[in-house]
Amino acid sequence: MIDAVWKLESAKIIGSLTRLVGDVGLAEEFAQDALVAAMERWPAEGTPGNPGAWLTAVARRRAIDHIRAERRHDQTHERMAHDLRHDDDTGEQDRDDTLRLMFLSCHPVLPPPARVALTLRLLGGMGNAEIARAFLTGEQVIARRVADAKRALAEHRVGFDLPVADEAAERLASVLEVVYLIFNEGYAAASGDDLMRPGLTLEALRLGGMLAEAAPQSEVLGLLALMEIQASRADARTGPSGEPIPLHEQDRGRWDRLRIRRGFTAMLRARELGGPPGPYLLQAAIAVCHAQAPTAEETDWAQIVSLYELLVRLTPTPVVRLNRAMAVGMARGPRAGLDLTEDLTADPALRNYHLLPAVRADLLLRLGRAEPARREFLRAAALADNAAERAFLARRAAGIPAGEPAGPLLGPAVAEFLAGRTDATARSYGQTLRRLRTALGEQTPLAELTPAETARAVTSAWGGAAPRTWNRHLAALRSFCAWAGRPDLGAELARRAEPAPAIRRGAPVHVWSGTGAAPRELALWWLLHESAAPVTRVLALNVEDLDLDDRRSRTGITWRSRTAALLPALIGDRTRGPLFLSGRRPAPARAPAEGDLCPHTGRRRLSYERAEHLFKQATGHTLSDLKSQD
Amino acid sequence: MRYLLLSLADENTPAPDERLFAEMGAFIQEMSAKGILLATGGLEPGGLRMTSSGEEVTVTDGPFTEAKEVAVGFALVEVRSEDEVLELARRFRRIVGDGVSEIRRVQ
Repeated sequence: MIDAVWKLESAKIIGSLTRLVGDVGLAEEFAQDALVAAMERWPAEGTPGNPGAWLTAVARRRAIDHIRAERRHDQTHERMAHDLRHDDDTGEQDRDDTLRLMFLSCHPVLPPPARVALTLRLLGGMGNAEIARAFLTGEQVIARRVADAKRALAEHRVGFDLPVADEAAERLASVLEVVYLIFNEGYAAASGDDLMRPGLTLEALRLGGMLAEAAPQSEVLGLLALMEIQASRADARTGPSGEPIPLHEQDRGRWDRLRIRRGFTAMLRARELGGPPGPYLLQAAIAVCHAQAPTAEETDWAQIVSLYELLVRLTPTPVVRLNRAMAVGMARGPRAGLDLTEDLTADPALRNYHLLPAVRADLLLRLGRAEPARREFLRAAALADNAAERAFLARRAAGIPAGEPAGPLLGPAVAEFLAGRTDATARSYGQTLRRLRTALGEQTPLAELTPAETARAVTSAWGGAAPRTWNRHLAALRSFCAWAGRPDLGAELARRAEPAPAIRRGAPVHVWSGTGAAPRELALWWLLHESAAPVTRVLALNVEDLDLDDRRSRTGITWRSRTAALLPALIGDRTRGPLFLSGRRPAPARAPAEGDLCPHTGRRRLSYERAEHLFKQATGHTLSDLKSQD
Repeated sequence: MRYLLLSLADENTPAPDERLFAEMGAFIQEMSAKGILLATGGLEPGGLRMTSSGEEVTVTDGPFTEAKEVAVGFALVEVRSEDEVLELARRFRRIVGDGVSEIRRVQ
């Protein structure tokens, strides 16, 4: 009961508290205090007439007490004092607070998973355990994500203001993305055994509704319409045993007319606003086309294709292009659709995307090419993460009688080839050839492979890799192709020049200039650069090992002026313990060795992985590039 | 999960006044925007009744005096839990005052 009230009211309560205290973490604490008070008092005193207002009032009292206490030591809280005096909540104020809270939860300083977790928690009133269940992860993971997010917001001093005009569009896009991400996580459960987690879908619809109420803009309404219409098919899109049913085979009588109507209403409101349609509105318009067709045969594919053309212009992502190919296949025939998928098979972004081979399989089947279609279905099944979808695709493949194999097949040939190599070679080549097998299909006859297909598969997998990596994979491929009697398969691929190592090492000194890296990172990077010592030894340094005057450590590491200038600030008041510390304290369950724990701050030693990640993120280089200077 | 809420009234139920209309309007607005309230409406007190028995179908005009309470309004809601629908119904009853609501899960 308290939980139900909380879920209905949390956005409003936390929103108004955040406006009051200026910090969302603090606001949530006061709200939690109020919840605890409710749990103590409601059972004894009875549920208040207006439970939401009761919770708000209690939480606000706590917040105001807190502010008064703060003000005693800090006279600068004038704004808060002002807010306290002019404290009249209206519906408009509530909507405004909700909107601010959404912008805050979806702030670009947060990584996307944190945005999602924070949004569900603050606006959906979900607990960490609930969020964890919805995302099939541990409660600890979510708790940490939420805590990190709140800290990041505080550290970046993200205020509770609406974004200024020149960043408003980008900030709104982030909010829409988060809402749609939540929707899709529920609607098209990416992994796991169920195809849908309706709780998240519902949550996203509610968030979308709140957002449309607070900011009735064209793209917001477009997203709401899109979600409503997609959700209208929830009951129709899975069969009795949980298998997915494609749109054109769904029983349209089971589509939820109520949701469709709500979607249409949102769509009409968006159209009334005018202006050029954005990506969500276009996707909604496509969904409307489907919803309006009484039967699959009556779908206006020409209209859908023209909407996809517009959408591809705005967001030319591989997935949108794939959907367009599918629509073109319906409007202009399977050949035209299949042609459009050819480019996509070389796109690295789609190399593990099961729907690409699934769409191709459908088109091939309609062209009467049963055997290649069967193989595409098998590949799609191998790539699908979701159990129900995987089973469905495997059944589609099994429904097509296997043709007479024309000679040896790729999968068995690879296995035989690897079996004839030494262990080390098999391991190294195996990496390359496994990828090739997934990309081209286990059961594809060697004789049917073409150099162009092979080139696309290899380019999509390793086109962006360093020349050395590229060449290693190419060597493995060529060795296999020669063995299999198809040396022509590698013909379209050329070795790449490997840059001399010296060139790579010349640059790093400057690679981090202008990255705005934190003082700890700068000290570490300069120390690595100036000392030329191995990364692990540098990270192992302790404060007590350092001789700052002599610019060397007892462990034999020496440095020069840049490092010397940065070290005092890094060390601060510390007298011993790890020199480089991670940003957070370890969880109690994962207490590191004592020597890796700072006696002053309780933080652990910075790990190699983390240091490497930070450097790579900032500069694109690896730490070992730094070491061999001089 | 979806629920159908029916609000029942008898001859003692007071007629809605302006305050009720305003509060109800705000409540409906809020719940619709949140995506909770999917459909709602008032029902005419009498209506028609159709009875089939074997081959025979008969239609009777209301009001039906044998029923003490009749449904005068409905709301179809989409909620996360039974607790939530109870909380919604509680709010609704606070606005409309004395009377009875029936709450049925849509299966």
